[in-house]
Amino acid sequence: MLQRFLNPSVLASISGLELVAKTVVDGFVSGLHRSPDFGFSQEFAEYRAYSEGDDLRHVDWNVYARTERAYLKRYRGETNSQLTMLLDVSASMAFGSHPVNKLDYARYLVASIFYLSKQQRDAAGLIVFDDDVKNYVPPSTRQGQFARLLHAIEKAEPGSRTNLEKPLLHCQQFLHRRGIIALISDFYESPEAIVKAVDPLRSHGNELILFHVLDPQEIRPAMNEPMLVLDMETNDAMEVTPDYVRTEYREKIDAHIEGLRTEARRNGIDYFLIDTSKPLDEALREFLTIRRRRR
Amino acid sequence: MGFLSPWFLGGLAALGLPVYIHLLKQHKSIPLPFSSLMFFERRTQSSIKHRRLKYLLLFAMRIAMVLLLALLFANPFLTRTVDPKAEGKKLRVFAIDNSFSMRTGDRFATAKQQALDALSGFRGGDLGQVVSFSTQVNMLTQQTEDPAELRSAIQSVNQGDGRSGYAELSQMLRSTAQSSRTPVEVHIFSDMQKTSLPSPFSELTLGGNTRVVLHPLASVDESNWYVESVKAPRSVYQAKKVRVLATIAGAGTPAFETDVSVVLNNKVIETKKIKLAANGRATAEFYIPEAPYGLNRGEVRIAAHDKLAQDDRILFALERKEPGRVLFVYEARNPRGILYYRAALDSPADSALAVDAVPSDQTANVSPIKYAFVVLSDVAYLPAEFEENLKKYVKAGGSVLIALGSASATKPRVPVFDEAIAQSRMSSRSADRFQGATSVDLSHPALSRTNSFDGVKFYQTIQVVPGNSRVLAKLTDQTPLILEKKIGEGRALVFASTFDNIANDFPLHTSFVPFIEQSAYYLSGVEKSAADIAVDSYLELRSSKDQGTSVEVLDPGGQRALSLTESTSAQNFRLPREGFFEVRRANGRHELIAVHADRRESDLTVIPKETLALWQNMGMGGEQQSGPGGQGITRTAPWSLWWYFALALLIVSLLESLFASRYLIAENQPMVRKEAA
Repeated sequence: MLQRFLNPSVLASISGLELVAKTVVDGFVSGLHRSPDFGFSQEFAEYRAYSEGDDLRHVDWNVYARTERAYLKRYRGETNSQLTMLLDVSASMAFGSHPVNKLDYARYLVASIFYLSKQQRDAAGLIVFDDDVKNYVPPSTRQGQFARLLHAIEKAEPGSRTNLEKPLLHCQQFLHRRGIIALISDFYESPEAIVKAVDPLRSHGNELILFHVLDPQEIRPAMNEPMLVLDMETNDAMEVTPDYVRTEYREKIDAHIEGLRTEARRNGIDYFLIDTSKPLDEALREFLTIRRRRR
Repeated sequence: MGFLSPWFLGGLAALGLPVYIHLLKQHKSIPLPFSSLMFFERRTQSSIKHRRLKYLLLFAMRIAMVLLLALLFANPFLTRTVDPKAEGKKLRVFAIDNSFSMRTGDRFATAKQQALDALSGFRGGDLGQVVSFSTQVNMLTQQTEDPAELRSAIQSVNQGDGRSGYAELSQMLRSTAQSSRTPVEVHIFSDMQKTSLPSPFSELTLGGNTRVVLHPLASVDESNWYVESVKAPRSVYQAKKVRVLATIAGAGTPAFETDVSVVLNNKVIETKKIKLAANGRATAEFYIPEAPYGLNRGEVRIAAHDKLAQDDRILFALERKEPGRVLFVYEARNPRGILYYRAALDSPADSALAVDAVPSDQTANVSPIKYAFVVLSDVAYLPAEFEENLKKYVKAGGSVLIALGSASATKPRVPVFDEAIAQSRMSSRSADRFQGATSVDLSHPALSRTNSFDGVKFYQTIQVVPGNSRVLAKLTDQTPLILEKKIGEGRALVFASTFDNIANDFPLHTSFVPFIEQSAYYLSGVEKSAADIAVDSYLELRSSKDQGTSVEVLDPGGQRALSLTESTSAQNFRLPREGFFEVRRANGRHELIAVHADRRESDLTVIPKETLALWQNMGMGGEQQSGPGGQGITRTAPWSLWWYFALALLIVSLLESLFASRYLIAENQPMVRKEAA
């Protein structure tokens, strides 16, 4: 029953990203996500001997009084991770074979993940880009942060061409603290170039996740007659035939997806292929399940 | 198989259009937006091959559409044998000739009987219509399926005196055939008079779905003598003999001797014997001693004893009345003008006008109302009362002729005419200094026979400033000679010289009498009209100033010919038959109009059979027959196929639309949507 409501077309009819995110997330278990790092919540994890440079505020002075040794008290945090989502709004993201195009689907996905992080009090931020950074909301847990994020998502419109290198280079300047970085795009680049472009994001020990958003018609296009196809980003036109689409195209797109998946795995990057025809919560659940398994 | 309009086959050239669209024109499809061309490769050759295969059906349909359209306009037909009994519904028109010539013997009664016999073959489901024709075609019924109504209409057809015209009948039949969806069968009951044929034979052309069945009532030429014309004055004014000249003629006749009589008011005045050569013509001259006052009914008749007795006489109207009076006002010291003017006006044998001359100083108690018009001949003085009455008289519709000389030049303005006198011009006779006339408007009724005043020398003229008047003639120095001005309902003519042979030598020239006579008739309104008029001529009932007043017309039977509305509004009246028509005009005048049939109807020569056959073949074919009904004769007729071609075109058009819309959808719809559907 819930699946029916989480169909992308149904979600498209719900006005307001917050409501969409709430609808998606409230349906299933909250709190599955755990921070990969130790945070500062109340669940005690262990003691560690003080070393030079540690913050004195974390020293357990009771233990020091009893043992005259300085120990730092460490906790298992559940929500205090920093999450930064990078949303690709290039022109190709506007493609869609049904009422919800790729960008809409990505918006719902990002909003849902932000809602999830809000529930767990994670600091969340957003970078919107195409061939340059279009919008930046720094990660924060402050009051109203969720609204700011949703507003930024709402405002994101299809832009020009995709160029991962330049915007991701800029992103490094914004990301000073370790955390999770999720990149949502249709990745129309060679797998090697993509991994090369995103690799610097991992420099601060960030955990990187790639959400590869594709329309079902991009994965398995249907064409009954020869057609003139127009590139949405470059406006180049090309006449193609159904025979080609049925054979060579499918092979190429499959090879591209598989190549990207392999390259990502090889570089320790999480990769998720998201089909915009599938229910959003299903994609989200798959993501969370894989995340928990990794931890 | 043939084509009724083969020139439309030229439209087959349009077959090149689909060929151009499908084979020569570059195919342009609407581009389909896609995320990226990263994984696409160009494949052109195979796509063109595919497209050609797909559009062949559409191409064939479009070719078929153009082909069918051209054939449809070319109107293809098949010639097939038609059994009249097996034919479907049709319109039968019964056309009965009721012209004057049908009075010959019992032709008209026979024509009606034959029409009734033809009506007996009228089948249920057929439409019928009865018309009579002579000068005009009268539809006696609408198209009806009721034989009783048709029979009644045939019985009600009356004999007329008009002239038959087959061109008018053919025109009506063409209109009927165009508006009728069923074939038209026309039964014409007529004496087939040769003089009724139109001069361009093509005017007899009938519609393609019209079949003519002729019922000739005369097969041989009949001999006929007739009174062709009569010349007699319409009005006489003097107590003297009236000359009547009659022309007697024969058509298809041998040499003949007959009595010709002139009758006035049913009293034979004189009878003469005349001899006519074969097919000849002779005139007889009569003098009626003294016609009584008032309206007289005259007639010239012959004793011919032929089958058409009605044309053995001809009517004429003769009115004896007092001549109209003309008031001639002159200077007592210069009576020469009246001498010449009166002599000129009295010169015609029977002048309609007589002159009453009054010196200007004695006009104080004279009322101009009773006069036909007034002449002011070079007057220097007019009593104020008379001048005032004269102005009122002119404004009320009267007329005045003003001659100007040395006496009238003493005044600053022309009396009544009220335009300024600029100067008096005098030229010496001895030194041959004179003016001639130029720029004469010969189209004016008063000047048409003046011969442009040729040779007339004007020694003294009065120069009048034209002002609002119209200049009808000028002198050689371009000063006005004759001017006209409309004053109120009346009019005034100014002659810038005198009638006295002093200021000019006009009275000595031959143009003087026609000018005086014509200007007098023009100003008095006396009309010279013929004593007899042909049937179906139009009589003018009222002039522009008689609008709204009542006019009465009594037909030869003494019945009112106009309804109450017509008597106050009708401009014209068509004279429908022979006889004397009495007309009472708006001004109270009575007139008698003698009307006779067109004498071309008296020539009873019939149309040759070859010509009749040609006429029948101008329709869709028919037959000439003497028996009633016109049934049971097999004939051939073109069977038009346009309906079938139109149906085929409609079907192909629908199919083409269906296929074309499918292709259009295929071209316009994004491929991804198709999959979703």
